[in-house]
Amino acid sequence: MSVLSRALRGVRLPTQRHDWQLMSRTARLVLTLPTYALIAVIAGVISLTAFVVSLNVPVFMDLVVGGTLPLSSRLAIVGELYPFVGTNFTVVQGLLLVVVALLTGTDIAMVTYHFREHGFDIQQGGAGAAGMVLGTLGAGCAACGSAVMVGLLSLVGVSASVLFLPLDGLEFALGAVVVLTLSIYWLADGMRGGEINGCPVDI
Amino acid sequence: MNRRRYLTLASAGVVSSLAGCGGRGSTDASETSGDSGRSIDDHPAAANLEVQPRQGTLGGNVVLAFEDPSCSQCRRFHENAVPKIHSNIVEAGAGAFVVRTYPIIYPWGKPATQALESTLARTEEAFWALFDHYFATQGQFTSNNVFDRTEQFLAEATDLDGTAVVEDARNKAHDDAVQTDIAAAENADLPQQTPIVLLFRDGQFITRANGSVSYDLIANALGLS
Repeated sequence: MSVLSRALRGVRLPTQRHDWQLMSRTARLVLTLPTYALIAVIAGVISLTAFVVSLNVPVFMDLVVGGTLPLSSRLAIVGELYPFVGTNFTVVQGLLLVVVALLTGTDIAMVTYHFREHGFDIQQGGAGAAGMVLGTLGAGCAACGSAVMVGLLSLVGVSASVLFLPLDGLEFALGAVVVLTLSIYWLADGMRGGEINGCPVDI
Repeated sequence: MNRRRYLTLASAGVVSSLAGCGGRGSTDASETSGDSGRSIDDHPAAANLEVQPRQGTLGGNVVLAFEDPSCSQCRRFHENAVPKIHSNIVEAGAGAFVVRTYPIIYPWGKPATQALESTLARTEEAFWALFDHYFATQGQFTSNNVFDRTEQFLAEATDLDGTAVVEDARNKAHDDAVQTDIAAAENADLPQQTPIVLLFRDGQFITRANGSVSYDLIANALGLS
């Protein structure tokens, strides 16, 4: 416990209103730069695509990459894998996946900016990678989340009967939102006092 | 550090993203396109297909779904895709829709599956009615009430003796049929998730879709769009 306390002592959390204002301002300043806005869009699309394709790799490989279907059918099949186009996700699941993708894009753009302009901090990068992992688990759990937990927790001998996740697996996507938000906050906090595109980063 | 560490972390994120979920799903043989083109007669997931609950006739396109009555994604598949499969494929004479039970999600799915097989042993019509009933009122079932509610439904909505069906289900009188379906899933190396929809075009396997996939995806895959 004391080890954990020591480890957490230096960790700052966005608990005040000005923390959220700092995150918002920093993200906005980074994303107003065309290069980083493009990075955010590309990263967001790639992350969402990776999330949904990872749930249906056989379909993607057999029908989109391989197979004999015409191009229009291949594109239609890819489209049907996404939330709000196909039926694989509920509205809540789809919204959460889109939020995770937006946060992932923003986070990667900010990490890239910070890395290129100010160097890099392992704590921030670790949180971003953890967000990606949690986002993937969230997408997986949207398909039938308890089965994921059965697979993971059976490794340590946990019975399937205890795995009644109240949100049917969306807990992982919510976890991804939290981790990505924390990552963005720590990045913004690391840029505090500096300048982005000539504008001061401070609240 | 930090470029190398950054790239390592980024790679880990990408690999994790592509790994997906579903226990052994990411490493099974059918995750690749290796099964494509395999005849439905040789595909382990389609073993004993002729005795499974089916809408439509075999011999052409087949939509084979492994489902758990307790799975919310299966319920959504039944709400969204199955009615269109029925009207656009089954009734149009373009293929068959076949169900295999795969009770792996919530505990009440196991006794429900026993009841489904005991019902199917009597009449297929009652099987489909009970199957629909499980999805339509899914949130009301628990391990404690599944037999009572099943007995009540069968007595009220079908011609069957609900008490006799549930007695068979309690005694696992048709467990061989339940185990046959589970063995079919395991022999086909299907991941432990539901629903899983295997698509056969003109008697040949083309792919496996996971989750509550749309009718449009199925129709495009089968060349019916």
